[in-house]
Amino acid sequence: MNNLTHEEAFEELAAVALDAVSADVAQAVREHAAACPECGPALFAMEETVAQLGQLVPQRAMNAGHGAGIRSRLIMRARTERESHSAVVPGPPDLSRGVASLTGLGHKLTPGTQRAVDAEVKKVLPRQPSRPSYFSGARLLAMAASIAFVLTALQLARVTADRNAMRAERISRVDTIPKRDTVTPRASEKEALVAAMAGPDVKMVPLATKTATPMGHMFWNRASNDWTMVVYTMPPPKPGMTYQVWLVTDKAKISAGTFQPDSSGHAFMQANYALPRNALKAVAVTEEPAGGMPAPTGPIVVSGSAAP
Amino acid sequence: MNPSEQDLSYSREIRSNAEDVALIRRMCDADETALGALYDRWMRSLYSLVFHLLKDADEAEDVVEETFWQAWQKASSYEPSRGAVSTWLLTIGRRRALDRLRAKGRRREESLTGEAGGLAAIAAPGADPSAAVEASERRTHVLAALRELPDEQREVLDLGYFQGLSQTEIADATGQPLGTVKTRMRLAMQKLREPLSMYRESAQ
Repeated sequence: MNNLTHEEAFEELAAVALDAVSADVAQAVREHAAACPECGPALFAMEETVAQLGQLVPQRAMNAGHGAGIRSRLIMRARTERESHSAVVPGPPDLSRGVASLTGLGHKLTPGTQRAVDAEVKKVLPRQPSRPSYFSGARLLAMAASIAFVLTALQLARVTADRNAMRAERISRVDTIPKRDTVTPRASEKEALVAAMAGPDVKMVPLATKTATPMGHMFWNRASNDWTMVVYTMPPPKPGMTYQVWLVTDKAKISAGTFQPDSSGHAFMQANYALPRNALKAVAVTEEPAGGMPAPTGPIVVSGSAAP
Repeated sequence: MNPSEQDLSYSREIRSNAEDVALIRRMCDADETALGALYDRWMRSLYSLVFHLLKDADEAEDVVEETFWQAWQKASSYEPSRGAVSTWLLTIGRRRALDRLRAKGRRREESLTGEAGGLAAIAAPGADPSAAVEASERRTHVLAALRELPDEQREVLDLGYFQGLSQTEIADATGQPLGTVKTRMRLAMQKLREPLSMYRESAQ
């Protein structure tokens, strides 16, 4: 339907705004409205009105764990896509980048490994198809290269873990919670990762700065005692310093380990620690001397209340 | 509401949209943290709408994720001159939700039988807007205008907006001539536009 008269187009404006006409009619009306000083503003106003109708519905909260999971998936997908687009020519490994670790041992992963970890997490949390170019040959090659990086990095991580275990003994007096030996999601951990971040027993604690800027989330699966923290846009800690996570209860501030965000400010951490269901009052991240401290001494960088 | 309250309310919404537009610009620059921030701001409204349409939490969550992913991918296509970011997001989400309804051939009959849901429930005299929605003055005015609509006009809007029926389908469902449906739809939209026009003029 082309060449609508003004009267014909004007009569259909409301229906177009409501999507209550065929695509052909809608297109014809929009073409007319684009050039019509009366129909254009009228259609614009009606579409605004329609949007207002959408905000009149009773507000309903999404399951907190699901909402946080969707958020994490979206960011990871976007990040993966951004990196895949920017990684046209592979450069030298950026050893300053890394995935945070609850081991406090400072395991570092290369950019390729980081992308692969993201890809793994995305597989764990599968969702929608991406852009048409998503499965392009270049991307598949990049994925293959990333997998190769993973294998290499895992070997390096094992060696590094042994070396750092000795170093960790120096801070054994620190009351830290038991930690996993690696942050790289292994095949056997994939389903556990999903369970840790979603489900009826998962309590989500939003983390934010003092100015209420959202910085991430802590997910506490109170059935399995799994703790999963995702933070983003964290500034790098000062030289010689690290970030330390604290689980705050009425009786204690329990160290949940230290971490270093990657160069993008992102960090992903996991641990397992039993805490009574109602004991957690807050989660806080402070800046502490490298290696961590037995009790918080530095300023709170981000925090979140566990209050219901 | 006196004019100064109106201006204040409007300026709050303008400021809010300016922040949304800034996030969209960052998304165009591939800043995924902006996507997260936009999600934090509009997830609840979007979820509420698509859940209201689909009546299924799992499907509504899928649509929310699809919508924000589309927003990330199509951020560069957003034109501030064509409406607020929230309008853009809710439009994407509603269309996706209606696509799902249409794909499944689902047609809810509650409105036709007067059982529940849709605009009839929202505009019911007992409904408390401050409890049912995030109380924005602008929304309150639209809600008031909605309540003033004759039942037959509200029904047409309901079937078009919440049920996703075309004008022809509405005519079939209500037994009214197509021309009558078009007229009712246009009149209803014009009446609901008035509160928005008032806000727009106050900004000029």
